[in-house]
Amino acid sequence: MTAEGTTEVPTPTAPAPAKVVVSRRGRRPNPRIAQMKRTWYFLRRNTLAMVGIVILVFFIGIAIYALTQPIPWTQLQQQCASAGINPPTPGSGCVCTYYAGSANPGPGCYQTPLNYPSEIAPTFDLSHGTLGPYPMGSLTVAPNNPVFYNIFTGLLRGADWSLGISVAIVGTGALIGLMVGAISGYFGGWVDEALMRIVDIFLSIPQILFVIIVIAVLVSIPVFQPFDARIALLVLGFVIVWWPFYARIVRGQVLVVREQKYVEAAKASGAGSGRLVIRHIIPNSVYPIFVQMSLDVGTIPLLLGTLVYLDFPIFSTIYFPEWGSMAALSVAGPNGVSTITDALLTCQFGSCVIPWWQFLFPGLALFLYAISVNFLADGLRDALDPRLRR
Amino acid sequence: MRMWIYIVRRLLLVIPIVVGVMTITFALVSALPVQDRLISAFGAPPKNAPGGYSPTIPCSDLNKSQNGTCPNPLYVRDTHKLGLDQPIFYQWGVYIGNALTFQWGYVDNHSGASQSFSQIQGQSVATVLGWFLPYTLELAILSLIIILIVSIPLGNLGAVYRNRPIDQASRVISFSGYALPGFLLGSFLLFAFVLALGPSVNWLDPTCKTETWYQFWVGSWPQQSCYTGEIWPTWLKNGFISSPTGFPTVDAMIHGQWWLAADSLLRIILPALVIAYGTIAGLLRFVRNSMLEVMNLDFVRTARAKGVPEKTVISRHAGRNSLNVTITVLGLTFAFFIGGFPVVETIFSLWGVGRMFVYALLSPYDYGLIFGSTLLFTFLVVFANIIVDVLYAYLDPRVRLG
Amino acid sequence: MPAVAQPTVDRTNLPTVDVAAPSATQGGTLTEPAADAGHSPVVLDVRDLRTYFFTYDGVVRALDGVSFKVRRGETLGLVGETGCGKSVTAFSVVRLIPDPPGRVIGGKVLFRGTDLLWGLDSEARIKIDEKTGRAKVRRSFRRIKTALERMSAIRGRGISMIFQEPTQAMNPVFSVSDQLSEALLLHHGTSIVDELLNATPSGPQVRPALEALVDTARNGAPDTVRAAAAKVGQAMNSSTFGTQAFYLVSESDLGPEDMVRRLERVAHRLRLSRIERAYLRQRRRQMVVEDELHELYLSEMREGHINRRQRRVLRGRHARNRLRGFYYGIWGIRGRIQRPLRDETFWRSVQRLEEVSIANPVQIARGFPHELSGGMLQRVMITMALSVDPVILIADEPTTALDVTIQAQILELMRDLKRRIGTAILLITHDLAVIAEVADRVCVMYAGQIVETARARDLYQHPLHPYTQGLLSSIPNLERPDKKLSSIPGSVPDLIHPPVGCRFHPRCPYAMPICKEQRPPTTAEGDEHTVACFLYKGDVAVE
Repeated sequence: MTAEGTTEVPTPTAPAPAKVVVSRRGRRPNPRIAQMKRTWYFLRRNTLAMVGIVILVFFIGIAIYALTQPIPWTQLQQQCASAGINPPTPGSGCVCTYYAGSANPGPGCYQTPLNYPSEIAPTFDLSHGTLGPYPMGSLTVAPNNPVFYNIFTGLLRGADWSLGISVAIVGTGALIGLMVGAISGYFGGWVDEALMRIVDIFLSIPQILFVIIVIAVLVSIPVFQPFDARIALLVLGFVIVWWPFYARIVRGQVLVVREQKYVEAAKASGAGSGRLVIRHIIPNSVYPIFVQMSLDVGTIPLLLGTLVYLDFPIFSTIYFPEWGSMAALSVAGPNGVSTITDALLTCQFGSCVIPWWQFLFPGLALFLYAISVNFLADGLRDALDPRLRR
Repeated sequence: MRMWIYIVRRLLLVIPIVVGVMTITFALVSALPVQDRLISAFGAPPKNAPGGYSPTIPCSDLNKSQNGTCPNPLYVRDTHKLGLDQPIFYQWGVYIGNALTFQWGYVDNHSGASQSFSQIQGQSVATVLGWFLPYTLELAILSLIIILIVSIPLGNLGAVYRNRPIDQASRVISFSGYALPGFLLGSFLLFAFVLALGPSVNWLDPTCKTETWYQFWVGSWPQQSCYTGEIWPTWLKNGFISSPTGFPTVDAMIHGQWWLAADSLLRIILPALVIAYGTIAGLLRFVRNSMLEVMNLDFVRTARAKGVPEKTVISRHAGRNSLNVTITVLGLTFAFFIGGFPVVETIFSLWGVGRMFVYALLSPYDYGLIFGSTLLFTFLVVFANIIVDVLYAYLDPRVRLG
Repeated sequence: MPAVAQPTVDRTNLPTVDVAAPSATQGGTLTEPAADAGHSPVVLDVRDLRTYFFTYDGVVRALDGVSFKVRRGETLGLVGETGCGKSVTAFSVVRLIPDPPGRVIGGKVLFRGTDLLWGLDSEARIKIDEKTGRAKVRRSFRRIKTALERMSAIRGRGISMIFQEPTQAMNPVFSVSDQLSEALLLHHGTSIVDELLNATPSGPQVRPALEALVDTARNGAPDTVRAAAAKVGQAMNSSTFGTQAFYLVSESDLGPEDMVRRLERVAHRLRLSRIERAYLRQRRRQMVVEDELHELYLSEMREGHINRRQRRVLRGRHARNRLRGFYYGIWGIRGRIQRPLRDETFWRSVQRLEEVSIANPVQIARGFPHELSGGMLQRVMITMALSVDPVILIADEPTTALDVTIQAQILELMRDLKRRIGTAILLITHDLAVIAEVADRVCVMYAGQIVETARARDLYQHPLHPYTQGLLSSIPNLERPDKKLSSIPGSVPDLIHPPVGCRFHPRCPYAMPICKEQRPPTTAEGDEHTVACFLYKGDVAVE
């Protein structure tokens, strides 16, 4: 039963030409570029990773688009304070509502039932090309606070915030972690021990709690009163909690890279420690971080949402439409009661109107963003791992 | 014998970590204003102390016939007890000493937590946390069981049947678990169940029906909305402190009240599922990858060459070896796992340490409770890591025999 | 260099040779093909084996038509450079090639008349993309799974393997005796259980035998102690107790009375309670069903189709037995019920370790693989492989990872075992010296093909193929130290794009135009000497 037939593999009549590599100015071709090409090839074959990249690019596009809009969203409070009394300016993103039975204040205002003032039946109206109050429902910003903002515009701007904050946190954290990990892994000895103990200590404290206590303590310092400083405090808190992850990963890789032959060769040709670390060790130890970085970019907006859900007072005077916070506000905090919980508490079976749009859309945005980032990270991990060769 | 040596060595390694964590909290605590520190350490100032914890009081309150302000003796005494007039190293020593002996201060009677939950007023932080710890532990144990039961077989199967339907399914679970924040998933599940199940039966008195039936499905115990007067069983003080063991399900079984025990168990199944889902998401990929790695190792080939049936090769030889990596990774994800507790306990209104932590964040922060619960959670993580290491040594003879 | 034959090849009137038809009859027990005149029967007949690996860089044609025969009791050496496909050959024979990325594409592997590669065609469809050279393989996982199931009947029973890195080859979390016991239980399970069930620890001859043992232990040579221990074993109908008694007696220094009492106590542990007996009988039933399953697999492979009904029946019995075993297992928490079986297999593995002359077998058996050295581990591996009395042992570079002194010990061990048991050995190595010591016949491999096959002596004295000649002349000669070291010019070809025609032609000093176009056929050039080279125009032989 030899395989002459269906499974016979034809041997080529002439050897295929070897891959021709263009050498530049006599230098050997860069192996890193070859590895990047190979990584991209594997990434391309992974459908999920491609889907993730597409969605991510879409979100980045939204963020860039939202950035071009001149709405100072951070001052929503002032802008929307007039909601319900005077129609707010179109394009401000605020929604004007009035209770059934009272007078209609003006065009573009929506009538809401008495008990759930934030409940506006959703309709899609994308025929307007501006960032106007598309009646896609609105969101209570704080309990019993008649301030609303339109969910759609919130989502658009939220891309900005989510992506921006995550990138800031991940970038800074990775930088610090890279340096600490490289120093720890390269020098070894008691430096390594001490730094790794510190990393262990940081990693033993649950992340959310750590962020909360850092921010809770630092928020009372007067430096952190203005809004921008609060955002910076948020980023600082996360960076303090997050750098140990990167440090540990980098150190593991540095320990491997340190034993490689080219490091020995560079040392033998007289390179000093600093030059060695910067030119040889760090560029080769960076790869495992990329996977972790992409994962973290996805999970940080979720953590921000969790913080808001726990009604952490740092945000009590800030209304910023970040996806996580929008999703959290829709679902309730322990102290405020969101409309959804409220509805569930008081409604009778069969006559419930639950404003599902308040958590579905921000939640969906959050979910799609996180999952796309995760697809990408997983694809990267499979592509970069030499042991899962196909 | 070697095992005991290993355990002792591992316990010794824990000490610098614990001290380090306490140092971090100490650093944060010392950044607080003095008033807050005093309140969190000693509780509210006694009622008869004029001026409370302010540094100076009018001299006339001290029966001194001077004008102006004199130093407040209470303030002076308490700051001396804390060591605030000594160098910072001394303060650190005092703090570490107190923390190690579980003297974590007192509850602030004017904080948001005390206002919402009056029974904790005046108690020491350690006592309060001790009341709530068993609920958290029950939830944790149930979640861990679910995690292990689901992630290990699923991960192993995902590795064996690589890229086939079961691998894709486990990928879906893993990705969606990462992408869904706990509060969203938990809230959504809660709403779905509450809507679906409708009014519930109050096991304490089945004849009592109430309109706010939502309250029967959340919380650690049925709410008291039907009754006035004392309805709790005698072994359940104040509605949540159960004796003798403190674990409500166990105590209900000890006292023979099986329906209460079942009720208590049912109330933590949904939160356990939510927590487990998040952790499984992270763990599943690791289990799968470690299993893939192990299946490529030499001894698996040897086992096949010996004629061991394939199923036994996978479950016994490969599975046992990949269990080591799995357990290590589980140890590493404990911090994340525990971090999910405040949110889930809040959603489902369980009487746990996480929920107490969230209460402590209500408007006037209760620093004693905040730092106390952080320390407690950290201890749990460290303890879990020790157990994981010991388990690892038990499973892998290379570690314990050297 | 020896004189070479004429460079021209006359192919017009080559005599045709009949292919020896396999005389395996359908059905019945395994039969071997009719013996060639004067030679022992062939146990392993590999014909035209092809194995390809489908990778990102292209299709690696690792084996392209490998054929050889192994006869009963002979040692066949497979020599070649690193990367020529020797290990791949071994793995292909027992189908241990990791399926992505590799596959056995074609050929026949006849083991005592049964084709181990049965069902290969239906398992995968392969499409080659001509432009990039990469392949798309569509596998039918169910068929692959059934094929591997069938192989489990052969592996370990008829064909055993030992591998190259002994330190990596054993499972680090199980003790040595656990792993040896696994092999023993798989293949000798029923006899072990039977012996355990028939042990009589309280017969009248036991006590006097024990006393005799203790007497000899005090002042006797180890041999006599062993003999006395064996008598004890006979008295108890349990050979393993003899071993156990021997070690107990040699290691401890109690007084004679205490010793005897202790031995009696240990002997009484062999008295089985009712539930232990029930468990053992249950295990025995399970093993019997497993054996029947394996017989079924063998007959399926032989007859060429799957007997679904019988298989289902057996599987059902197997599952029921496992369920019952699970029930018993619950009874004996922490293995209390399994303890007699574990002890029995422990002492059996100690016996096996003794057979390969390992000192301290008890200590080694209790220990873990990471505590042993490479040489020791390789001995244990050999023990495991031979514990089942296989027909053929495939040794994949068993000594490459060991020092020369240990190497010598292992080779001596293999020779000794060959003499005693008569297993055929397929020895794969790149070390010509090892071949010279152990092998009866040798196959030389180059780049996935066999270029020359001969008896060991003939190969070393009259190498025919230019590659063999190059190999042999590159060995440094101690008697002529001033001679320059010669080597074969060029390097091993890339198996993704192998040279067309004869794969050796780029490095061959006698390359002719025809070598670049056609693959040379294997021709017979003497008694049991075949070569694949256009330099020789002997009769075309089909190996």
